[in-house]
Amino acid sequence: MAVNKDCVKIHVEHLKKNFGKLEVLKDVSTDIYEGEVVVIIGPSGSGKSTFLRCLNRLEEITGGEVIVDDMRITDKRIDINKVRENVGMVFQHFNLFANMNVLRNLTLAPVDLKKADKAAAEENAMKLLARVGLADKALAYPSQLSGGQKQRVAIARALAMNPDIMLFDEPTSALDPEMVGEVLEVMKELAREGMTMVIVTHEMGFAREVADRVLFMDGGYILEEGTPEQVFGNPQNPRTQDFLNKVL
Amino acid sequence: MVNLRAMLPACNTKGELPVLQILNVYGDLLLTAMGQTLLLALCGLFFACILGLIFGLLSVVRNKVCNLIAAVFVDAIRGVPMIVLAYFIYFGVPYLLNTILGIGGVMLTALQAGTICLALNCGAYMAEIIRAGIESVDRGQMEAARSVGLPYWRAMQRVVLPQAIRTMIPSIINQFIITLKDTSILSVIGFPELVNTAKNVVANTFMSFQTWAIVAVMYLVVITTLSRVAKHMERRLRYGR
Repeated sequence: MAVNKDCVKIHVEHLKKNFGKLEVLKDVSTDIYEGEVVVIIGPSGSGKSTFLRCLNRLEEITGGEVIVDDMRITDKRIDINKVRENVGMVFQHFNLFANMNVLRNLTLAPVDLKKADKAAAEENAMKLLARVGLADKALAYPSQLSGGQKQRVAIARALAMNPDIMLFDEPTSALDPEMVGEVLEVMKELAREGMTMVIVTHEMGFAREVADRVLFMDGGYILEEGTPEQVFGNPQNPRTQDFLNKVL
Repeated sequence: MVNLRAMLPACNTKGELPVLQILNVYGDLLLTAMGQTLLLALCGLFFACILGLIFGLLSVVRNKVCNLIAAVFVDAIRGVPMIVLAYFIYFGVPYLLNTILGIGGVMLTALQAGTICLALNCGAYMAEIIRAGIESVDRGQMEAARSVGLPYWRAMQRVVLPQAIRTMIPSIINQFIITLKDTSILSVIGFPELVNTAKNVVANTFMSFQTWAIVAVMYLVVITTLSRVAKHMERRLRYGR
């Protein structure tokens, strides 16, 4: 599915984020469109993850404006939980609920937030698990799964709320190399189906393959952005060139 | 001394061992006293759990005022010996209300005062156990729960607390045992628990060695049984993982 340039899903304007005196995000502005897959790259400490976590306000925002799905999440009065229902997030360390089996991990939020009754939520969960190839693990506990399996469950859990937007925070960084592929495969599938995705990753090959747009971040700014061909093939900013030389 | 003991009708005759004489005559009394000890401990623990949960949660929420309230409570209680707390609540507070503030007729029974005292004391330690237990759960668990749209308290209740409780259980049981032993301190406000009763038995019989040995064994049996049950529960929880 193509990027729908008429529909801005995430609008970020002059976003600032400080941790105490440390300015992690200094001035970040961008628009992310419906169906777009945006991959954020950059050295560690450049503010990539913090930027992502500001998009569902897992980090309190210091300044600027962020509008997600027409809701101004920088406004304190907005019900952030409502926004989050529509924005799935996948974490580097999976963060599956350790006290519940896989099925419960997927049905907890839909049932608790009355999005679906138990039977419907379980049916949907089983469909999602089949989609990530883990239908046989529905009754397993997270501790019984491999890293790749955990991450696929985590993706399914995020999808269980039927979100419009998915955020991925270094989803393959904590995986053994042989498990990276299975997780990326699920993500590619999602991208093909037209999910709006924002992905922080170090997988440059993956970025090149699935991204509609690549953002290079460093020092709390977006220093360069463009299609993968532009950013990887012909980077303009010396910092981008330097970074790509080191990782490619 | 021998004469005095002979004067007590209960403890004179038949060349029985003194321990058996005490058990014969005062056994029921001591058992009742053990019952009172357990009653006091249970009452104290019940309210201690409530206080501990409240102040434990107050110390983990992201709110400076709540954190401060919890810290002051824990520090204040931990900084005062329980015997002082007991005197303060049993004698001090009614005196304050009746004599100083002129609100007449306020009296606490020894059981009420003892329960309050244990609840406060044990509650402060429980708050610390609960705080540590919640903090031991990986932050990512709360973040993941929030990221799917669960409100803070719902996430706490469904995801964080169930995991925290597992790590807390050994410390909580340990605290229960300490509290059970601490009931002996409340003999100073006249509650008829085991130590207080034993003092009276000694006063009647002068057989302090035998009486205190019996009391020690009684505590030992109850507490050892409790720790066994605790060990068993711990093991079951570990295998449940």
